[in-house]
Amino acid sequence: MASRDNPIGRVVAGLDVGLLLWRAQLQMFLNQTLRSRKPGRIAGTIVSAAVIVVAWSWEAFITWLGVQASHRSPIQIDTVHLLSLAFLGYTGVLIFSSLVFSLNALLLNPDLDLLLASPLPVESVLAGRMVVQVLRLLLLSLVFTLPALLVLAIANHNFAIPLVFAALYLLYPVSIVVIISLVSLLLVRFIPVGRGREVVTIFGVVLALGINLLNFLFNPALRDPGFARRGGPPSLPDVPAASATWLPSGWAGRSGAAILRGDWSVAAEWALVLLAVSAAIFLAGTMLSGRLYLAGWIQAVPPRRRRPAGARTRGISGALPLLSPLLASIVIKDWRMRTRDLAQLVRFVMPVVFIFVIFGLRFGGLRSAVQTLGDGPAAAMVGLVPAWILLFSLSISLGLTAVSLEGKSMWVYAVSPNTTLRFLQGKCWSAALPTAFLVAIVAIAAEILIRPGWLWAAAAILLAVAQAVTVTTLMVGIGAVFARFDWTDARRMLSPVGVVIGIALFGMITGGSALLLAIALALASATGFSTFTTWLAAMTLAVGGAVVVAVLGVLIGNERLRSLELG
Amino acid sequence: MLSTRLLTKRYGSLTAVEDLDLEVGTGELFGFLGPNGAGKTTTIKMLVGLLRPTSGSARVAGVDIMAEPERAKARIGYVPDAATLYDKLSAREFLEFSGDLYHVERRLRDRRIEALLKLFDLHERGNDFLSGYSRGMRQKVSLAAALLHDPQVLFLDEPTVGLDPHSARQMKDILQDFCKEGKTVFFSTHILEIAERMCTRLAIINRGRLVAMGSLQELRHMVGQDGQSLEQIFLELTGSREEDVSAVLRGLEG
Repeated sequence: MASRDNPIGRVVAGLDVGLLLWRAQLQMFLNQTLRSRKPGRIAGTIVSAAVIVVAWSWEAFITWLGVQASHRSPIQIDTVHLLSLAFLGYTGVLIFSSLVFSLNALLLNPDLDLLLASPLPVESVLAGRMVVQVLRLLLLSLVFTLPALLVLAIANHNFAIPLVFAALYLLYPVSIVVIISLVSLLLVRFIPVGRGREVVTIFGVVLALGINLLNFLFNPALRDPGFARRGGPPSLPDVPAASATWLPSGWAGRSGAAILRGDWSVAAEWALVLLAVSAAIFLAGTMLSGRLYLAGWIQAVPPRRRRPAGARTRGISGALPLLSPLLASIVIKDWRMRTRDLAQLVRFVMPVVFIFVIFGLRFGGLRSAVQTLGDGPAAAMVGLVPAWILLFSLSISLGLTAVSLEGKSMWVYAVSPNTTLRFLQGKCWSAALPTAFLVAIVAIAAEILIRPGWLWAAAAILLAVAQAVTVTTLMVGIGAVFARFDWTDARRMLSPVGVVIGIALFGMITGGSALLLAIALALASATGFSTFTTWLAAMTLAVGGAVVVAVLGVLIGNERLRSLELG
Repeated sequence: MLSTRLLTKRYGSLTAVEDLDLEVGTGELFGFLGPNGAGKTTTIKMLVGLLRPTSGSARVAGVDIMAEPERAKARIGYVPDAATLYDKLSAREFLEFSGDLYHVERRLRDRRIEALLKLFDLHERGNDFLSGYSRGMRQKVSLAAALLHDPQVLFLDEPTVGLDPHSARQMKDILQDFCKEGKTVFFSTHILEIAERMCTRLAIINRGRLVAMGSLQELRHMVGQDGQSLEQIFLELTGSREEDVSAVLRGLEG
């Protein structure tokens, strides 16, 4: 084994550390799933695996159809450019995910201190982290594309296709991961102590928004008015530089295209170029990252102190009209937690931002489309679509997480002299108030834009607000049944099973409401009853049904909380 | 003020606490001692209503904690060993929230919060987020929250961990004053010196079972040697493993 005193030795030790960390992560994954001895978790793992298998089968089937179609009517595709474009697009994902991963590793994961305290060179520890990231990306790439690669291998009688692509997946991210790790080491100097989570969250948000905006700007299906260009040939975003011979995306694209047409030597040639450059960058980056770390760049700036008591104006007085001090206290505490913690704030704000991205960017086209609907219930209901999408997002992000929001601080409430039902009441208020408020604003804006008649508009807004309150209450109940209190990362507040049940019930309430309203309209036209009265009756039934489900949800959630033990 | 009868907690095949009988009187400062994993935290969590006993009963301030948990909890203050608080609330906001949870009237609550923040030297940083507090400061906030509603019984799980000597002394004074008002303190600790100096009576638990209970003098009589320190009594009752440790350490050298 190479000595750890020379650069090669440190890089080799880094590979060892990376594999060690990878093994530990795999063990943790298995311990939390199949070896957990918890039937729920084991079932969840099996269901997740089944979902992946179904998705893989579907992907394999679509690829097979594509292969068959290309045999019957061959089309000329520039495979090199297509694959180069794919790798270039992947670069964007790599940059963002590596930034989040690196900052996470440097600022949040406690194991970095553990590793740095071990008798390993700093370079090897940092290189080990990069190896873990590259392996994780390799695995993700394979999860997404392996079935297609296997079908192509069978169709072309060339079983080297998956192997060469796996090699490309392994090599291509290396340079980006290394460069981003170096950038992260520089960045952490400017991040205040204790703000790492916020910064990582911001990058996560930028990633999500960036991907969506790029999709809107470059996806041909969304770029042109009318969402589709029927009759026109399919087009790809044209970035000529993607397949340039001086860019890694061009090398990976050439290697991949060559193996698809069975040209071994060209595939190996470009893969070797990628290997040489990646290895060189990995070696140089490892040494440089160690130097940067040892030079003290890791030192983050201290947090700023809050203003002293006298100088501070207090935002919320601690009382809310119509609510008892206890309920008001829970609502205000939750509001403070959600707006002060960036990870929580993002949950709250992101649905609103996405509504803007989805509807705001297509505002002109949508307005002209809906204004042709004229007056009446149909137009009023169409106006509720953005409000409904917002309700879906907010009821999940605020309602389902309302109880889990307490996390390990749940003991504070559990030792207090209050019933769990009272606690759930407070949580329902804390989630339903902001949800209903935002849903009402979006519904009002949409109805003003559509102008379906003031009576229809008012009834539709009332329906939106009523359903916002009931659906959010229902989600709070489901969130209580599947509450998680042991999370440290806000993303783990939601239970996947709870989300699935929540979405299913939301779908049932939406479908049921729409069906009732459609029946009301049909009944009115068939019998000659007043359309508005019939519609109002259907609305009352729809809201009433949702209220019953919501109350049941809260009662079941209360039973779960009553049996809760905080050991 | 506090009594348990055959209190037991089992997790599957593991018995954390078994047939625990305790009697703690009014105005007592009661120390609950035991080695790691002996069942101290489990016992305290059962007494404050965070865990349900598998069998047995417990009465706190004259109320059955299982039958009337809300009524009992209104008379209890609790300071956990590692207090997880709401990081994005300031100490003052957290105490306000705590006061509302215990239905303390607003004006009284605000007056008490100011007094407690001053008492614990947190007044200057009362508006800082708890995320920026050290472990000792969090412990102080947690104790302030436990005292805010003027409980009759105070449960503290390792209250001196993370406190500097000055704060530990301050906490000791506060607890003794609390007992002088005719209220009861039940606390677990590893620091036997503190227990020896502070407690009116002690209980020692080992592997979930009560092995001794009484004043320090009574415990000395129990082990049959007057003048022994609490540490010696503790080691004798819970079993010393000094020889084993030495043997293992010698083995590591080889």
